[in-house]
Amino acid sequence: MNRFELSADPLDTGKLKNGLRHARAGGFASFEGWVRNHNEGRDVGRLEYEAFAAVAEKEGTRIVTEAIERFGVTAAHCVHRVGDLRIGDLAVWVGVSAEHRGEAFVACRYIIDQIKARVPIWKKEHYSDGVTGWVNCERVSGPEPPQPALPATTDGLYARQIALKEVGENGQRLLSEARVLVVGAGGLGSPALMYLAAAGVGHIGICEGDTLEASNLHRQVLYRRSQVGQSKAHIAAQQLRELNPDTEITVIDVSLDADNAESLFNQHDLVLDCSDNLKLKFLLNAAALRTSTPVVFASVYQYEGQLHVFDPRTGAPCLRCVWPREPNVAPTCNEAGVLGPVPGVFGSLQAMEALKQLLSLPGRLSGELLMLDLLSFRSTKISASRLADCEICSRTPDQIELPRPGEFEIALDMDLAEVDPGLRNDYVVIDIREQDEVSARPLTTLPHRHIAMSTFSLDAPPIEPDQPYLLCCASGTRSRSLAIELRQRGFAHVYSQTGGVDHLDHGHSRGGD
Amino acid sequence: MTQVNVQYYAIFREQAGASDESVETGATTAGELYAELCDRHNFSLPAAALRAVVNEEFADWDTPISDGDRVVFIPPVAGG
Repeated sequence: MNRFELSADPLDTGKLKNGLRHARAGGFASFEGWVRNHNEGRDVGRLEYEAFAAVAEKEGTRIVTEAIERFGVTAAHCVHRVGDLRIGDLAVWVGVSAEHRGEAFVACRYIIDQIKARVPIWKKEHYSDGVTGWVNCERVSGPEPPQPALPATTDGLYARQIALKEVGENGQRLLSEARVLVVGAGGLGSPALMYLAAAGVGHIGICEGDTLEASNLHRQVLYRRSQVGQSKAHIAAQQLRELNPDTEITVIDVSLDADNAESLFNQHDLVLDCSDNLKLKFLLNAAALRTSTPVVFASVYQYEGQLHVFDPRTGAPCLRCVWPREPNVAPTCNEAGVLGPVPGVFGSLQAMEALKQLLSLPGRLSGELLMLDLLSFRSTKISASRLADCEICSRTPDQIELPRPGEFEIALDMDLAEVDPGLRNDYVVIDIREQDEVSARPLTTLPHRHIAMSTFSLDAPPIEPDQPYLLCCASGTRSRSLAIELRQRGFAHVYSQTGGVDHLDHGHSRGGD
Repeated sequence: MTQVNVQYYAIFREQAGASDESVETGATTAGELYAELCDRHNFSLPAAALRAVVNEEFADWDTPISDGDRVVFIPPVAGG
């Protein structure tokens, strides 16, 4: 089947639609152009369509293929009638199937607009007063002027940034050739991705393995409420393709890990760390060194955040030079809370630093940590220096190993629900949340001790060396870091409840039930 | 006694209940100052999990402090 066809016979839309069905497709959009009974104030009785067939088929096929490639849709097809048509007859049909509706709609619109502008088909209108006239097929679309072809709309698209003397046409070309990987499409990733695509960055990779949750929406402004439950990487890609169809988007809908990091870094010129996970940040740091790829790091906490650019090519201090001991205690948005514009500001700062890097603008952050508190607008730029004995960047790239979760870490996390019911009573559960958290959401179904993390003495831990303990906090992050600290002090049977108190309290109780 | 200005970010701001304070201290190093402030504010983070900054530069715990210094204790943050 050709992607574009001319047909002398009436069209069977059901059959056409079925031709675009695919297991991968989650949506279908179509456009039908009908013959109407008037044109520019004159009554029309019937129409004749005539095409320059050889050129029309070639150009039409090219347009449909363009749409498939440009918008990443699953399949598309367009059929145009030729010959005699009556009022109400179907003159042109466009169908697009795609994973998500957004790209199906834009691809459908693109095809019909381009067909009308570029494909040599004319129509002869037979007016009710007996006169006939050949008109360009564009008028089928109605009295409004035809939509300009998509390439033409790019005129002036980047004019306001090209006007900057540090950017110019040359800078715009650099952006169009750039390949940027964004790790995490959440609160930081939302503005970062949008600004990069809007600026005309040629290729963006979106690495994000999560699905959208309702609690994301107050800060992750790339998404809509109707999309809760969908893959964030896919819906982000769909939004960005609509924002800038010229940007090529690659969806990596899995988490970045030690197995895929190096290859992903090698495919990009620059990486934005928009993750909310300290372990992942150190993995990115190691991958940056192995592949000589700069990373723009950002993290936020409640009303403030930190920004750090690490470019291994400049000999700047790496993330490990700034944090020589990988910190265990770093609350995420889930447990510390955050106001939406905070990651909004920091994600925008990341896009800004990315553009500065790609365009070699002055004032790029290097070897400094920028801290900004958005409540007081207090900001501090702190100089870091490279540590001579840094356990990461003092090595040569091929000596650097990408961190993997070790067996020790795997054994650290535990879900009481998965423990044999007969053995659950062996564990003493300790709720380490602060008093205000406990008051707000008490742990009711399990007998437990309460020792707030802030009062938990590491010098003289109030626990027994041989007793198994299960620590729990709001999400499992603090309990994990405390468990690590306690194990390092010889308490070998301390575990951390995965998912925190909600997980623990959900549907199971002590004993053999 | 030494008079320094201490700024708090993130969890320190919450635990100290202020974003900065002027501190009169007998401490002579950043490490001693942190220990003193831990007692005063019940800070929950072990020194190994954070960095001290003296006059806008990351500093070792044995970095001396003197009158008028600006000291910041920075915890890592990971939200996004």
